[in-house]
Amino acid sequence: MSYLELDDVDVRLGDTEVLRRVSCSLDERTIAVIGDNGSGKSTLARLVGGLTHATGGTIRVLGLDPARDATRLRRRVAVVFSNPDTQIVMPTVAEDVAFSLRSDKLPRDEKTRRVDEAMRRFGLTELAGRASHDLSGGQKQLLALCGAFVRRPDLVIADEPTAYLDARNARRVADHLFEEGRHRLLLVTHDLALARRCEKAVLVQDGAIAAVGAPDEIVAQYEVGLGC
Amino acid sequence: MLTLYRPGDGPWHRLPAGPKSLVLLVIVLGVSLLPASWWCAAVAVGACVGCYAVPGAGMRDLFRQVVAVRWILLVTLAGQLVFTGPENAVANTARVCAAVVISGLLTLTTPVSELLDVLERAMRPLAWLRVDPQRAALTVAVTLSTLPVLARLEREVREAQRARGGGRSLRLFAIPFLVVALKHADALGDALTARGVR
Repeated sequence: MSYLELDDVDVRLGDTEVLRRVSCSLDERTIAVIGDNGSGKSTLARLVGGLTHATGGTIRVLGLDPARDATRLRRRVAVVFSNPDTQIVMPTVAEDVAFSLRSDKLPRDEKTRRVDEAMRRFGLTELAGRASHDLSGGQKQLLALCGAFVRRPDLVIADEPTAYLDARNARRVADHLFEEGRHRLLLVTHDLALARRCEKAVLVQDGAIAAVGAPDEIVAQYEVGLGC
Repeated sequence: MLTLYRPGDGPWHRLPAGPKSLVLLVIVLGVSLLPASWWCAAVAVGACVGCYAVPGAGMRDLFRQVVAVRWILLVTLAGQLVFTGPENAVANTARVCAAVVISGLLTLTTPVSELLDVLERAMRPLAWLRVDPQRAALTVAVTLSTLPVLARLEREVREAQRARGGGRSLRLFAIPFLVVALKHADALGDALTARGVR
Protein backbone atom coordinates (compact mmCIF):
# COMPACT_ATOMS: atom_id res chain seq x y z
CA MET A 1 0.00 0.00 0.00
CA SER A 2 1.32 3.48 -0.91
CA TYR A 3 1.83 6.05 1.83
CA LEU A 4 -0.29 8.56 -0.04
CA GLU A 5 -3.63 7.41 -1.41
CA LEU A 6 -6.37 9.71 -2.66
CA ASP A 7 -9.53 8.34 -4.14
CA ASP A 8 -12.06 10.68 -5.75
CA VAL A 9 -11.24 13.45 -3.29
CA ASP A 10 -13.14 16.74 -3.44
CA VAL A 11 -12.38 19.87 -1.44
CA ARG A 12 -14.88 22.68 -1.34
CA LEU A 13 -14.14 25.94 0.45
CA GLY A 14 -17.38 27.89 0.73
CA ASP A 15 -18.90 27.95 -2.75
CA THR A 16 -15.61 27.22 -4.49
CA GLU A 17 -14.61 23.74 -5.52
CA VAL A 18 -10.85 23.89 -4.99
CA LEU A 19 -10.06 20.24 -5.71
CA ARG A 20 -12.31 17.89 -7.62
CA ARG A 21 -12.20 14.14 -8.08
CA VAL A 22 -8.52 13.87 -7.24
CA SER A 23 -7.23 10.30 -7.33
CA CYS A 24 -3.67 9.10 -7.07
CA SER A 25 -1.51 6.56 -5.31
CA LEU A 26 2.08 7.63 -4.60
CA ASP A 27 4.91 5.84 -2.85
CA GLU A 28 8.09 7.62 -4.00
CA ARG A 29 10.32 9.14 -1.31
CA THR A 30 10.30 12.59 -2.92
CA ILE A 31 7.27 13.93 -4.78
CA ALA A 32 6.98 17.35 -6.42
CA VAL A 33 3.64 19.09 -6.94
CA ILE A 34 3.69 21.77 -9.62
CA GLY A 35 1.09 23.94 -11.31
CA ASP A 36 -0.13 27.51 -11.69
CA ASN A 37 -1.10 29.83 -8.85
CA GLY A 38 -4.59 28.98 -7.69
CA SER A 39 -4.54 25.53 -9.31
CA GLY A 40 -5.02 23.74 -5.98
CA LYS A 41 -1.43 22.68 -5.15
CA SER A 42 -1.37 24.20 -1.69
CA THR A 43 -4.83 22.84 -0.90
CA LEU A 44 -3.56 19.40 -1.87
CA ALA A 45 -0.59 19.84 0.48
CA ARG A 46 -2.85 21.09 3.30
CA LEU A 47 -5.18 18.16 2.71
CA VAL A 48 -2.34 15.66 3.06
CA GLY A 49 -1.10 17.49 6.17
CA GLY A 50 -4.55 17.37 7.77
CA LEU A 51 -4.96 21.17 7.75
CA THR A 52 -7.86 21.04 5.30
CA HIS A 53 -10.45 18.31 5.19
CA ALA A 54 -11.90 16.60 2.15
CA THR A 55 -15.57 17.20 1.43
CA GLY A 56 -15.79 13.99 -0.58
CA GLY A 57 -13.81 10.85 -1.36
CA THR A 58 -11.28 9.02 0.78
CA ILE A 59 -7.71 9.87 1.67
CA ARG A 60 -5.02 7.86 3.48
CA VAL A 61 -1.70 9.36 4.49
CA LEU A 62 0.84 6.93 5.98
CA GLY A 63 -2.12 4.58 6.34
CA LEU A 64 -4.11 7.10 8.41
CA ASP A 65 -7.24 9.10 7.69
CA PRO A 66 -6.27 12.80 8.26
CA ALA A 67 -9.79 13.66 9.48
CA ARG A 68 -10.21 10.78 11.94
CA ASP A 69 -6.61 10.21 13.03
CA ALA A 70 -5.53 13.87 13.03
CA THR A 71 -3.55 13.66 16.28
CA ARG A 72 -1.66 10.52 15.30
CA LEU A 73 -0.99 11.90 11.83
CA ARG A 74 0.41 15.18 13.17
CA ARG A 75 2.94 13.26 15.21
CA ARG A 76 4.28 11.74 11.99
CA VAL A 77 3.90 14.62 9.54
CA ALA A 78 5.63 18.01 9.55
CA VAL A 79 4.55 20.96 7.40
CA VAL A 80 6.81 23.79 6.26
CA PHE A 81 5.21 26.88 4.74
CA SER A 82 6.67 29.51 2.41
CA ASN A 83 6.62 32.34 4.96
CA PRO A 84 8.81 31.39 7.92
CA ASP A 85 7.51 34.32 9.99
CA THR A 86 4.20 32.58 10.47
CA GLN A 87 5.88 29.41 11.75
CA ILE A 88 8.02 30.95 14.45
CA VAL A 89 6.25 30.78 17.78
CA MET A 90 8.91 31.31 20.45
CA PRO A 91 11.14 34.34 20.89
CA THR A 92 14.55 32.65 20.69
CA VAL A 93 15.93 30.13 18.23
CA ALA A 94 16.56 27.32 20.75
CA GLU A 95 13.15 27.81 22.39
CA ASP A 96 11.42 27.72 19.03
CA VAL A 97 13.07 24.43 18.05
CA ALA A 98 12.22 22.99 21.48
CA PHE A 99 8.61 24.11 21.08
CA SER A 100 8.08 21.40 18.44
CA LEU A 101 8.73 18.74 21.10
CA ARG A 102 6.56 20.36 23.75
CA SER A 103 3.58 18.05 23.33
CA ASP A 104 5.80 14.93 23.06
CA LYS A 105 6.18 13.00 26.29
CA LEU A 106 9.95 12.75 26.18
CA PRO A 107 12.38 13.07 29.11
CA ARG A 108 13.84 16.58 29.43
CA ASP A 109 17.39 15.34 28.66
CA GLU A 110 16.22 13.61 25.50
CA LYS A 111 14.43 16.78 24.36
CA THR A 112 17.57 18.86 24.97
CA ARG A 113 19.71 16.33 23.11
CA ARG A 114 17.38 16.29 20.12
CA VAL A 115 17.16 20.09 20.01
CA ASP A 116 20.97 20.43 20.14
CA GLU A 117 21.40 17.79 17.46
CA ALA A 118 18.82 19.42 15.16
CA MET A 119 20.34 22.90 15.61
CA ARG A 120 23.80 21.50 14.80
CA ARG A 121 22.45 19.82 11.68
CA PHE A 122 20.87 23.04 10.42
CA GLY A 123 23.81 25.26 11.41
CA LEU A 124 21.82 27.12 14.06
CA THR A 125 23.90 26.31 17.14
CA GLU A 126 25.65 29.70 17.09
CA LEU A 127 22.25 31.42 16.88
CA ALA A 128 20.61 29.47 19.72
CA GLY A 129 20.09 32.50 21.98
CA ARG A 130 19.24 34.98 19.21
CA ALA A 131 15.77 36.50 18.86
CA SER A 132 13.97 34.39 16.24
CA HIS A 133 12.32 37.33 14.52
CA ASP A 134 15.63 39.19 14.09
CA LEU A 135 17.08 36.45 11.87
CA SER A 136 17.49 36.86 8.11
CA GLY A 137 14.90 35.29 5.81
CA GLY A 138 17.17 32.33 5.04
CA GLN A 139 17.97 31.73 8.70
CA LYS A 140 14.27 31.92 9.58
CA GLN A 141 13.41 29.29 6.99
CA LEU A 142 16.22 27.07 8.29
CA LEU A 143 14.74 27.53 11.76
CA ALA A 144 11.30 26.54 10.46
CA LEU A 145 12.83 23.44 8.85
CA CYS A 146 14.75 22.65 12.02
CA GLY A 147 11.51 22.93 14.02
CA ALA A 148 9.92 20.48 11.59
CA PHE A 149 12.78 17.97 11.46
CA VAL A 150 13.42 17.89 15.22
CA ARG A 151 10.20 15.89 15.51
CA ARG A 152 11.70 13.24 13.21
CA PRO A 153 8.68 13.11 10.92
CA ASP A 154 7.97 10.30 8.50
CA LEU A 155 6.61 12.79 5.97
CA VAL A 156 7.62 16.41 5.40
CA ILE A 157 5.21 18.57 3.43
CA ALA A 158 6.89 21.73 2.15
CA ASP A 159 4.70 24.37 0.51
CA GLU A 160 6.98 26.59 -1.58
CA PRO A 161 9.68 26.61 1.09
CA THR A 162 12.14 28.54 -1.07
CA ALA A 163 9.71 31.17 -2.37
CA TYR A 164 11.12 34.07 -0.30
CA LEU A 165 14.78 33.09 -0.44
CA ASP A 166 17.81 34.13 -2.48
CA ALA A 167 19.60 31.49 -4.58
CA ARG A 168 22.15 30.57 -1.89
CA ASN A 169 19.59 30.15 0.88
CA ALA A 170 17.15 28.41 -1.45
CA ARG A 171 19.82 25.83 -2.24
CA ARG A 172 20.68 25.32 1.47
CA VAL A 173 17.01 24.80 2.34
CA ALA A 174 16.49 22.46 -0.64
CA ASP A 175 19.58 20.42 0.25
CA HIS A 176 18.21 19.86 3.76
CA LEU A 177 14.84 18.83 2.36
CA PHE A 178 16.44 16.32 0.02
CA GLU A 179 18.89 14.95 2.60
CA GLU A 180 18.90 11.20 2.88
CA GLY A 181 16.96 10.09 5.91
CA ARG A 182 13.86 8.39 7.09
CA HIS A 183 11.52 11.15 5.92
CA ARG A 184 9.52 11.28 2.72
CA LEU A 185 9.00 14.63 1.04
CA LEU A 186 5.95 16.18 -0.61
CA LEU A 187 7.21 19.41 -2.16
CA VAL A 188 4.90 22.05 -3.61
CA THR A 189 7.04 24.31 -5.76
CA HIS A 190 7.22 26.78 -8.62
CA ASP A 191 10.93 26.07 -8.92
CA LEU A 192 11.02 23.59 -11.79
CA ALA A 193 14.68 22.73 -11.19
CA LEU A 194 13.73 21.68 -7.67
CA ALA A 195 10.81 19.65 -9.01
CA ARG A 196 13.25 17.80 -11.28
CA ARG A 197 15.25 16.68 -8.22
CA CYS A 198 12.24 14.68 -7.01
CA GLU A 199 11.56 11.05 -7.90
CA LYS A 200 8.00 11.76 -9.05
CA ALA A 201 6.04 14.84 -10.09
CA VAL A 202 2.35 15.69 -10.02
CA LEU A 203 0.90 18.41 -12.24
CA VAL A 204 -2.18 20.12 -10.79
CA GLN A 205 -4.40 22.19 -13.07
CA ASP A 206 -7.75 23.79 -12.30
CA GLY A 207 -8.27 21.77 -9.14
CA ALA A 208 -7.55 18.41 -10.72
CA ILE A 209 -4.52 16.22 -11.23
CA ALA A 210 -3.55 16.64 -14.89
CA ALA A 211 -0.58 14.28 -14.92
CA VAL A 212 1.62 12.13 -12.70
CA GLY A 213 4.97 10.75 -13.78
CA ALA A 214 8.70 11.22 -14.09
CA PRO A 215 9.65 14.81 -13.17
CA ASP A 216 11.39 15.57 -16.51
CA GLU A 217 8.28 14.55 -18.45
CA ILE A 218 5.83 16.34 -16.19
CA VAL A 219 7.89 19.54 -16.14
CA ALA A 220 8.19 19.41 -19.93
CA GLN A 221 4.43 18.97 -20.22
CA TYR A 222 3.89 21.94 -17.90
CA GLU A 223 6.32 24.09 -19.87
CA VAL A 224 4.50 23.29 -23.12
CA GLY A 225 1.36 24.63 -21.49
CA LEU A 226 3.24 27.78 -20.52
CA GLY A 227 4.30 28.34 -24.11
CA CYS A 228 8.03 28.26 -23.14
CA MET B 1 6.34 46.66 29.41
CA LEU B 2 6.65 43.43 27.52
CA THR B 3 10.38 43.45 26.93
CA LEU B 4 11.45 39.96 26.00
CA TYR B 5 14.11 37.85 27.61
CA ARG B 6 17.66 39.14 27.75
CA PRO B 7 20.20 36.42 28.59
CA GLY B 8 22.31 36.92 31.71
CA ASP B 9 23.55 35.22 34.86
CA GLY B 10 22.55 37.67 37.61
CA PRO B 11 20.45 36.76 40.68
CA TRP B 12 17.17 37.46 38.88
CA HIS B 13 18.23 35.16 36.04
CA ARG B 14 19.30 32.40 38.42
CA LEU B 15 16.12 32.51 40.48
CA PRO B 16 13.66 29.84 39.21
CA ALA B 17 10.63 31.27 37.42
CA GLY B 18 8.07 30.19 40.07
CA PRO B 19 9.69 31.79 43.15
CA LYS B 20 10.72 34.79 41.05
CA SER B 21 7.09 35.38 40.02
CA LEU B 22 6.06 35.26 43.68
CA VAL B 23 8.83 37.65 44.83
CA LEU B 24 7.98 40.13 42.09
CA LEU B 25 4.27 39.79 42.82
CA VAL B 26 4.88 40.63 46.48
CA ILE B 27 6.99 43.68 45.56
CA VAL B 28 4.43 44.89 43.01
CA LEU B 29 1.58 44.44 45.50
CA GLY B 30 3.57 46.24 48.17
CA VAL B 31 4.23 49.18 45.88
CA SER B 32 0.61 49.25 44.69
CA LEU B 33 -0.74 49.40 48.24
CA LEU B 34 1.39 52.35 49.32
CA PRO B 35 -0.61 55.44 50.28
CA ALA B 36 -0.61 58.35 47.83
CA SER B 37 1.98 60.73 49.22
CA TRP B 38 5.31 62.29 48.23
CA TRP B 39 7.39 59.88 50.28
CA CYS B 40 5.52 56.89 48.86
CA ALA B 41 6.35 58.09 45.36
CA ALA B 42 10.00 58.14 46.43
CA VAL B 43 9.68 54.59 47.85
CA ALA B 44 8.14 53.37 44.56
CA VAL B 45 10.97 54.89 42.55
CA GLY B 46 13.47 53.47 45.04
CA ALA B 47 11.94 50.00 44.67
CA CYS B 48 12.34 50.21 40.88
CA VAL B 49 15.95 51.31 41.13
CA GLY B 50 16.63 48.66 43.78
CA CYS B 51 15.19 45.84 41.65
CA TYR B 52 17.13 46.90 38.57
CA ALA B 53 20.37 47.64 40.43
CA VAL B 54 20.82 43.89 40.85
CA PRO B 55 23.58 42.50 38.56
CA GLY B 56 22.16 41.06 35.35
CA ALA B 57 19.56 43.83 34.96
CA GLY B 58 20.80 47.45 35.09
CA MET B 59 19.80 51.07 34.83
CA ARG B 60 19.81 50.95 31.03
CA ASP B 61 17.13 48.26 31.12
CA LEU B 62 15.14 50.30 33.64
CA PHE B 63 15.34 53.34 31.37
CA ARG B 64 14.16 51.26 28.37
CA GLN B 65 11.21 49.93 30.34
CA VAL B 66 10.18 53.42 31.47
CA VAL B 67 10.48 54.77 27.93
CA ALA B 68 8.28 51.89 26.70
CA VAL B 69 5.44 52.94 29.02
CA ARG B 70 5.95 56.70 28.73
CA TRP B 71 2.56 57.34 27.12
CA ILE B 72 0.70 55.40 29.81
CA LEU B 73 2.56 57.40 32.44
CA LEU B 74 1.83 60.71 30.72
CA VAL B 75 -1.88 59.96 30.39
CA THR B 76 -2.03 58.78 34.03
CA LEU B 77 -0.18 61.86 35.27
CA ALA B 78 -2.25 64.31 33.20
CA GLY B 79 -5.57 62.76 34.23
CA GLN B 80 -4.64 62.65 37.91
CA LEU B 81 -3.29 66.22 37.86
CA VAL B 82 -6.65 67.49 36.67
CA PHE B 83 -8.74 65.56 39.21
CA THR B 84 -6.61 64.92 42.30
CA GLY B 85 -3.79 67.46 42.59
CA PRO B 86 0.00 67.16 42.23
CA GLU B 87 0.83 64.92 45.24
CA ASN B 88 -1.73 62.25 44.37
CA ALA B 89 -0.89 62.50 40.66
CA VAL B 90 2.85 62.00 41.14
CA ALA B 91 2.40 59.25 43.74
CA ASN B 92 -0.14 57.31 41.67
CA THR B 93 1.93 57.64 38.50
CA ALA B 94 5.04 56.49 40.37
CA ARG B 95 3.12 53.46 41.69
CA VAL B 96 1.80 52.54 38.24
CA CYS B 97 5.26 52.99 36.75
CA ALA B 98 6.89 50.90 39.49
CA ALA B 99 4.30 48.10 39.20
CA VAL B 100 4.68 47.82 35.42
CA VAL B 101 8.44 48.18 35.34
CA ILE B 102 9.11 45.76 38.21
CA SER B 103 6.81 43.13 36.73
CA GLY B 104 8.73 43.61 33.45
CA LEU B 105 11.73 42.04 35.20
CA LEU B 106 9.98 38.68 34.93
CA THR B 107 9.96 38.65 31.12
CA LEU B 108 13.34 40.36 31.00
CA THR B 109 15.11 37.67 33.04
CA THR B 110 13.06 34.52 32.29
CA PRO B 111 13.01 32.57 29.01
CA VAL B 112 9.49 32.29 27.59
CA SER B 113 9.66 28.48 27.69
CA GLU B 114 10.20 28.67 31.50
CA LEU B 115 7.36 31.16 31.81
CA LEU B 116 5.19 28.78 29.86
CA ASP B 117 5.94 25.95 32.31
CA VAL B 118 5.19 28.17 35.33
CA LEU B 119 1.97 29.48 33.81
CA GLU B 120 0.87 25.95 33.03
CA ARG B 121 1.49 24.85 36.61
CA ALA B 122 -0.18 27.96 38.02
CA MET B 123 -3.26 27.47 35.87
CA ARG B 124 -3.74 23.80 36.70
CA PRO B 125 -6.35 24.54 39.40
CA LEU B 126 -8.41 26.29 36.71
CA ALA B 127 -8.86 22.95 34.94
CA TRP B 128 -11.99 22.29 36.99
CA LEU B 129 -13.45 25.44 35.40
CA ARG B 130 -12.74 23.75 32.06
CA VAL B 131 -9.82 26.08 31.33
CA ASP B 132 -7.10 24.10 29.54
CA PRO B 133 -3.88 25.22 31.33
CA GLN B 134 -1.64 24.22 28.42
CA ARG B 135 -3.72 26.18 25.96
CA ALA B 136 -4.02 29.22 28.23
CA ALA B 137 -0.25 29.31 28.86
CA LEU B 138 0.42 28.89 25.16
CA THR B 139 -1.89 31.82 24.40
CA VAL B 140 0.23 34.04 26.63
CA ALA B 141 3.48 32.81 25.04
CA VAL B 142 2.14 33.29 21.52
CA THR B 143 0.91 36.78 22.42
CA LEU B 144 4.37 37.73 23.69
CA SER B 145 6.14 36.41 20.62
CA THR B 146 3.62 37.94 18.20
CA LEU B 147 4.35 41.49 19.35
CA PRO B 148 7.57 41.86 17.30
CA VAL B 149 5.75 40.44 14.26
CA LEU B 150 2.92 42.97 14.61
CA ALA B 151 5.51 45.75 14.98
CA ARG B 152 7.14 44.61 11.72
CA LEU B 153 3.79 44.38 9.94
CA GLU B 154 2.95 47.89 11.15
CA ARG B 155 6.26 49.16 9.72
CA GLU B 156 5.65 47.42 6.40
CA VAL B 157 2.12 48.81 6.07
CA ARG B 158 3.37 52.33 6.90
CA GLU B 159 6.19 52.03 4.36
CA ALA B 160 3.80 50.77 1.67
CA GLN B 161 1.49 53.67 2.50
CA ARG B 162 4.34 56.18 2.13
CA ALA B 163 5.61 54.51 -1.07
CA ARG B 164 2.20 55.03 -2.65
CA GLY B 165 2.06 58.66 -1.57
CA GLY B 166 -0.39 58.12 1.26
CA GLY B 167 -0.46 60.52 4.17
CA ARG B 168 -0.82 59.67 7.84
CA SER B 169 -4.49 58.72 7.56
CA LEU B 170 -5.50 56.33 10.34
CA ARG B 171 -8.18 54.75 8.15
CA LEU B 172 -5.75 54.07 5.30
CA PHE B 173 -3.40 52.46 7.81
CA ALA B 174 -5.92 50.56 9.93
CA ILE B 175 -7.62 48.56 7.19
CA PRO B 176 -4.53 47.01 5.54
CA PHE B 177 -2.93 46.49 8.96
CA LEU B 178 -6.00 44.65 10.17
CA VAL B 179 -6.01 42.51 7.02
CA VAL B 180 -2.33 41.50 7.30
CA ALA B 181 -2.65 40.93 11.06
CA LEU B 182 -5.64 38.63 10.55
CA LYS B 183 -3.84 36.79 7.74
CA HIS B 184 -0.89 36.33 10.06
CA ALA B 185 -3.19 34.99 12.79
CA ASP B 186 -4.66 32.52 10.32
CA ALA B 187 -1.26 31.31 9.16
CA LEU B 188 0.00 31.09 12.75
CA GLY B 189 -2.98 28.92 13.63
CA ASP B 190 -2.07 26.56 10.78
CA ALA B 191 1.57 26.51 11.88
CA LEU B 192 0.60 25.67 15.47
CA THR B 193 -1.65 22.88 14.26
CA ALA B 194 1.13 21.58 12.02
CA ARG B 195 3.50 21.59 15.00
CA GLY B 196 1.24 19.36 17.02
CA VAL B 197 -0.75 21.93 19.05
CA ARG B 198 -4.34 20.78 19.32
